[in-house]
Amino acid sequence: MKEELLKIFSVKLRTLFSGLSFDYEKLQEIRLRVNAPLLVCYDNKEFFVNQKNGLTTQETSAFMITGAELKETMEYISNYSLYAFEEEVRQGFLTVAGGHRIGIAGKVIMEEGRIKSMKHISFIHIRLAHQKKGCANHVLPFVLNQEELAHTLIISPPGCGKTTLLRDMIRQLSNGVVFCGKRYEGMQVAVVDERSEIGACYMGRPQNDLGIRTDVLDCCPKAQGMMLMIRSMTPQVIAVDEIGLAEDVEAIHYAANCGCRLLATVHGRNMDEVKGKPFLGDLVKYKLFERYIILSNRDYVGRVEEIFDERGSLLYSDKT
Amino acid sequence: MFIMKLVGCILIFCSTSGIGFLYAKEFEHRQEDLNSLKTMALQLRGEIRYAMTALPEALEHIAKRHDGRLQPFLSEISKKLSERSGESMLQIWSACEEKLSVTSLTKQDKLFLHQLGESLGYLDKEMQLATIDLFLTQVEQTLKELETIGKEKKRLYKSLGILTGIFLVIIIL
Repeated sequence: MKEELLKIFSVKLRTLFSGLSFDYEKLQEIRLRVNAPLLVCYDNKEFFVNQKNGLTTQETSAFMITGAELKETMEYISNYSLYAFEEEVRQGFLTVAGGHRIGIAGKVIMEEGRIKSMKHISFIHIRLAHQKKGCANHVLPFVLNQEELAHTLIISPPGCGKTTLLRDMIRQLSNGVVFCGKRYEGMQVAVVDERSEIGACYMGRPQNDLGIRTDVLDCCPKAQGMMLMIRSMTPQVIAVDEIGLAEDVEAIHYAANCGCRLLATVHGRNMDEVKGKPFLGDLVKYKLFERYIILSNRDYVGRVEEIFDERGSLLYSDKT
Repeated sequence: MFIMKLVGCILIFCSTSGIGFLYAKEFEHRQEDLNSLKTMALQLRGEIRYAMTALPEALEHIAKRHDGRLQPFLSEISKKLSERSGESMLQIWSACEEKLSVTSLTKQDKLFLHQLGESLGYLDKEMQLATIDLFLTQVEQTLKELETIGKEKKRLYKSLGILTGIFLVIIIL
């Protein structure tokens, strides 16, 4: 992971990072801003990076990022070919080998009221991909009814582990799971990964383990992708991240009517917030989803707070 | 003595004619190299337009399909780009231009290629395609010119070689 990650940095930054000894598994974020100190988020805490001492809380001795560092780093991130990431740049992020997500900001170029491209990229945010295998273990018994998987919606605010949980559910459902002495055979899973977050695909290949029966449609708008996968791959389960648009909801209806089981996530803090969302609120009202899993980052990221069924009955609670 | 003179004359005649033929051959080689450049540009345009392939990968694909004298140049750029050594695209491109010494491209042809390298990599797809199209126009224009004057020039080189040989032989004899 270290070598793969370091490849995207300028030579100076690469030398700096390779000279430091820390656990890359605990490294969550790296932020590069022009003429500002290099910042990293390590083990849920923010640090500056110092050439001699490594991670520090002292701003004065922090390593400063220059325009040249950013330019060089951007060349490596885009593989000297920013044009190849046109669509990603338009959306403000791209995925590199290893599945790490790079968010970018700079001067936006508009055309006919739409973002056309971005130049003078001066801010880079690197979110490291960490796959937490097994994080869905205690959730799966609630979503597997007898033989079938319940239509499930994972609800949480950003950065609370929605996608990580979804990814592990996909992996386990695809491989097949055993609990309470019962074996659940693996299911054919189709993932429509609009933002390349679930599979973190690089050149079409998922960098995360999504199981042996999973097909991934990368960078495809959810609604179109779901229809396409139903037609082309005949999946038993369809998984999508961050639903909300009217067409997403329509595609979910269609998928559910085709006999596919659904796994989806949405931003929100609790059931009431989701019920109040336009379009999505209707799905809750029609009881399409049979399980709602609510996550938070209280004490640790990805804490399962509550699980509800379609009638709103509480099945599990970790609230104190 | 006469035999010595005769041998010398034959040698002179052969070498001047050889030089003439060599020049004509070099001219043909330049045409071949320009055609290779054209094919390379067309392939690169395809890679960018239809597959949005990144440059190191695109150049590697093209190098693999290429068996001409441009092959070392293409493979070297692709290799160096993948190394991420801290050099910019243009620096790498310029450094690899020395691999073109095996070709028969002229200074002008190499300048066109250098200008292509200057604008490759950054900005959007349209810009890339426009740059490649400009390069293609320049190469096609040169090829056209060579086509028109080609036959005459080749004949001229050959005849000049032979005639110079004859001229020198007459003087010596």
